[in-house]
Parts: sequence; C-alpha cells; structure tokens
Amino acid sequence: MNAKNWWAGAAIAGLTMLAFVLMMGAPAVQAEELKIGAVGTLSGGGTEWGKALQRGLTVAIDEINEAGGVKVGNKTYTLKMIMYDDQYTAQGGTTAAIRLINVDGVKFIIGPVGSPPALGVVAVANPAKVIVLSDGYSGKILTPESKYNFRIQIPTEYFAPGMAKWLAKTYPKAKKVGFISPNDAVGQTLVPVQIEAYKAAGIETVSDEKFDRGMADFTPLITRMVARGADIFELDGDAPGDAGLMVKQARQMGYKGIIIQTGGPGTDEIMRVAGKLADDFLTYDLFDPADPSGAEFVKRYRAQFTGPINGLSPIYYNGMKILAEALRRAGSLDTDKVKGELEKLDGFQTLFGPVRWDGKERYGVRHQLVHDFFVTQVKDGKAKPIARVSHE
Amino acid sequence: MSSNLVIPIVFNGLSLSAIYILVALGFTLVFGIMRVINFAHGEFAMMGGFALFICYVQLGLPYWLALPLVVPTVGLIGLVAERIVFRPLYGQELPAMIAGLGLSVALADGAVVVFDVHQRNIPSPFDDILTVSGFTFPEDRVIVMGIAVAALIAFWLFIQFTSIGLALRTVAQDREMAEAQGIDTSATYRITFFLATAMAGLAGALFAQIYALSPYMGLVPLVKAFTIVIIGGLGSIAGAALGGILLGMSESFLNTFYGASVAQFASFGAIMLLLILRPWGLLGRPEV
Repeated sequence: MNAKNWWAGAAIAGLTMLAFVLMMGAPAVQAEELKIGAVGTLSGGGTEWGKALQRGLTVAIDEINEAGGVKVGNKTYTLKMIMYDDQYTAQGGTTAAIRLINVDGVKFIIGPVGSPPALGVVAVANPAKVIVLSDGYSGKILTPESKYNFRIQIPTEYFAPGMAKWLAKTYPKAKKVGFISPNDAVGQTLVPVQIEAYKAAGIETVSDEKFDRGMADFTPLITRMVARGADIFELDGDAPGDAGLMVKQARQMGYKGIIIQTGGPGTDEIMRVAGKLADDFLTYDLFDPADPSGAEFVKRYRAQFTGPINGLSPIYYNGMKILAEALRRAGSLDTDKVKGELEKLDGFQTLFGPVRWDGKERYGVRHQLVHDFFVTQVKDGKAKPIARVSHE
Repeated sequence: MSSNLVIPIVFNGLSLSAIYILVALGFTLVFGIMRVINFAHGEFAMMGGFALFICYVQLGLPYWLALPLVVPTVGLIGLVAERIVFRPLYGQELPAMIAGLGLSVALADGAVVVFDVHQRNIPSPFDDILTVSGFTFPEDRVIVMGIAVAALIAFWLFIQFTSIGLALRTVAQDREMAEAQGIDTSATYRITFFLATAMAGLAGALFAQIYALSPYMGLVPLVKAFTIVIIGGLGSIAGAALGGILLGMSESFLNTFYGASVAQFASFGAIMLLLILRPWGLLGRPEV
C-alpha cells in the first residue's frame, strides 16, 4: 500500500468513525420521549368515537410538543401517543391495556370511550398502578378501589337536573317529554336518570321508546311519541348520526315541539345529517367556541382535520392537558405522585373552565371531573351558546 | 284505527318497501343465477350513496344527471369485484361467501380511509312538505318512492322481454342446460353482477338521500335484503318483491303500534316460523 492510498484509507475510516459517533450521540441531544397510551374503538360501528378520541389527543399532544414538551423534574419529555383498538368490548379494552402496560411500558392511559372497554382497561390498569383518564357511565368505573382511574366526561346525573330545570324555566308551557333511545346499556342507564330529572323539574314523561342500533327509519317511533302528546323530544343517549336522523324525520313529519339532546355533545354532526331541518334544535355543549381557549382548540383542530368536530374530541384534548399539568407539578413519572397532583388540580384552567373534582359522595372517590356546560341552539345553520348551566 | 294514523303508516311502509325491494332484488339475483351469497351487497349500496355524494354534492352536478351516473358507476365497480374476488370461486359456495364477507369488511374500512367515518347528509333537492287532504308527506320520500318503483318496473321489463333477460332466467333455472343451448354463462354472470350491484348502488343512493350516509351504512341494507329473500325465497324475483312489501309494511305498522322491540321480535319470530314450516320461502322452490 503506497502512502497516498494509506492516507485515503485513513481518511475514510476516520470519517466513518466520526459519522458513527455522531449517530450514537444523536439521541442524547433530543428530548426524551414519554409514551401516552390511548385506547379507543378503531374498527366497526364505534370507530367514530375512537377516531374522535385519537384526534382530540393528537391536537393536544401536538400543541404540548410545539410548546417544547412537558417538563417533569429536570427532564423535558416530548409526548408520543400509542393507540390500540378496543373493538368496543371489555375484552378488547383488557387486551389493549395489557399490551400498553406490559409491552410498551406505558404508565398513563387516556380512554377508552364507553363502559365496556373502560371496565376492561380499569381492571388491568389499577393493579398495575397505571393512571387512566377515561369515559363510560357505568357505576363500576369509579369506585373506591379504582384509585388510579379518573373520569373526564361529566355523566348524566350531573348535567340532567340542571338542563331539565333550565328547560322548565325557559319553556314553561312544555310539560310532557318523550324519549327515543338505543335499546342497550346506554339507553337503559341514561333514560331513567333523565326521567327523574324531568320529573323533579315538573315535566312528565309520556313516551320512552327504545330501538336497536342500526335502525334508520325512526318515523314510526316518532309517530308513537307525537300521538302521546310529547311537546319535548329528548335525544339523550343517541349517537349524533341517529340523533340527526331523528331531528330530520321529526321535522319532516311536521313536529313543531322542542327537540333537545341533553348530553352526548355532537352538534356539528347532527347539523350535517339534519341539514336545515336542524334549526331550533337545542343541545348541550361543553365549551364555548367563541371563548379564547375554545377558539384556539377549534383552530388547531381545523388545521389538522376536516369534517365535523365530534363532541368527544374536546373531552380527550382536555384530558391530555390536565394530565400534562399534573405531570409537570409532580416533577416525576411516579404514578402515585402524578395521581396526587391530579387530585389537587382543582382550579387549573382548562377548555371547560377550572378543574373541579367531585364524586366522593356518589362513587366513594373524588375522581369525577365536573364543570359548567352550555345550552346551544342551532339558528340558520349555526350553533350558538344561549345559556350557561351549572352541574348539580 | 283512525285514518290520521293509517295513511302516514301506509305511506311510510310503501316508501320503505320500495327501497327494500330494490336492494333485495340484486341480492336474490346473484344467488339465483350465480349461487353466491354476496355479503358485500350492502357495501355496494354504501358505494352508491358515496357516488351520489361525490357527483351531486362535491362535483355539483344536477341531481337528475348525478343519480343516473351512480347506477353504471357502482355496476362497473361490481364488475371489478366479480373479476377479482368471485370469478375464481365460481361453483364454490362457501369460499365465495367467505370472500364476500372479506370484501364487505375491506370496502367498509376502505371507505373510512377515503371518506372518513362520520355520517353525512345529502341535501335533498326536494325538501318541501307536501300536504294532501290534510296529510303531510315529505317530498323527498315521494320522489324516492317514484324512482324506486320506476327502476323496479324497468328491471322487470328487462328480465321479461329482452334476450339477455331470457338468458338470465334460463341460467337461473338450469345452468348446465343453458350451457348446452349455447348460452355463455360467464357473460351471464358478469351481467348479473353488474345489474345486482348497480341496483344496490341505486338503492344505497336513495337510502343515503332520505336517511344518512356513512361507511358502515351497508349493514342495514344487507340485513333487510337477507330478511326479504328468506321471506320471499332465495333466488326468487317475485319473492323479493313480496318479501319487500311484507317487511316494509309490517315494520311500519308494528313499530308504530307496538314499538321497535316488539316489531323486531315479531319479524324474526315470523322468519323462524317460516324457516321451520316452509324453508324455501313463500315463492321460492324447494331444493331437489
């Protein structure tokens, strides 16, 4: 080997080693990654809910990462979502949670939507001391034993009395209400709570119709309800697509009464399905899009996604922001410390107003997020908040 | 029972029946001629809904141009599916049925990827409420019923009075004998699949127009088609018409007077009874 070749070989070897060292060193200058587990329905009929969760979380995580990530003690973490499909079943929720906790090493899970998968996730996460910020109205989701589970969606028993009182006060002539709701755990659980709330507000239930999910022609059920003299048509428990169809068909039949959905925010989607027949429709909403934080959320959402904003997206956006703040305050990834900070988060300003935890009397654990909400009315194709109502 | 209730119930039952027959005819045609239970039939209806959405809402074509475009578009997509999925499995009923199931899932999830998962409304060009003798009828349902009836009459004329229709009927009765007479059964299968999916597409477009449009909407038309052909007889065209009328009217009456749960119970109870007493359906032929 002559001198020239020797120097060329040495230079190549040196450059290769330098590149190798730089590559090895690269992760050291990046912020560490914190995995956030997400569980939601991504296949079958409940896909819409899982997608809504995924989108809400994506918007929140991108916002947090753009701002530099979450500072936990001396380290700053960028957040990374890992999501699995629960197929809207308890078994699916259990499998997703086992995979997140044992394979991905996740300590914080957001979701799932709905009681069956939520019960499946909580059953695995609690013994593993993994924090879950979930949904689901089942009474078994929040219990004194489920110490690491927080419910971030306000359930019917909190908002129904306030909404019924507002309705009775605003429309004093409306005295009879009719329900059309799905013939499953959702309808069976929510409607009795609503009936009690309306009764307490002086409004009698004259019709309680149930349907199997997948039904598209609600005309006969609406005919039954109208024949019984219902001057309020309550849609609580109905998925936004079904609620939109009911609004459309009721108005096409000439129904002139009040149509309201107390719960399950999904105004955008209902307006999409019912079109101009959605005018005068009353609904419950979680935030005011004209408020600065509401406008910021809507702007960020629209920058990434098209189509209507499902009512669940802001709930999980809000949940992620709450968790990030608790992580920052805890200064540690230790889930007992984060849980302690979550419980002390009252007053922290969020998309839905200041955090308030409740539930000690109802569930034996103060892990229920509560907040004020809005009555929204559709006028000329636009939904506008017309009243602010407090939970009870 | 007052006429105040009967007339709207009958109208609703007829409008349901018209769409149900349209969707069931294609389903029964494919079985009668090709001996394939097409589980993806509902998804072709879904594609009809999206085809109307693209043509009428997104491209802004006039409704009376957009709707006729839907029919051959879905039929052509059906031909592609026939070539890729079903043709290799002719004569194998079970594998073809499983392939249909797979196609159904692929088409629904594919639609989620392309169109997103949320429900849509196709704004109706006919949004008046018609009043006749004090009774109100949504204009869009009247128009949809008219289109469905016209399509059914056109289909019947095609089957009864054209040479292709004659060939289809011959293959349905005896495939081997039809082949011996020089009828190209492969071509017959292609025509059958085109017609069946085109009609499903039209039914889906009409369904999406009066109800709503979503990637998972195919399940309802499939279940209705299945129910109708069990009532009328798998493979029987007249049976599909009778089954559609019986299902549409009974749903409308039972739902109104007894609620959805009783209506479901009665419908499926009647089907079970029929399967026990007359498993080949009201107008079907018993297997030899």
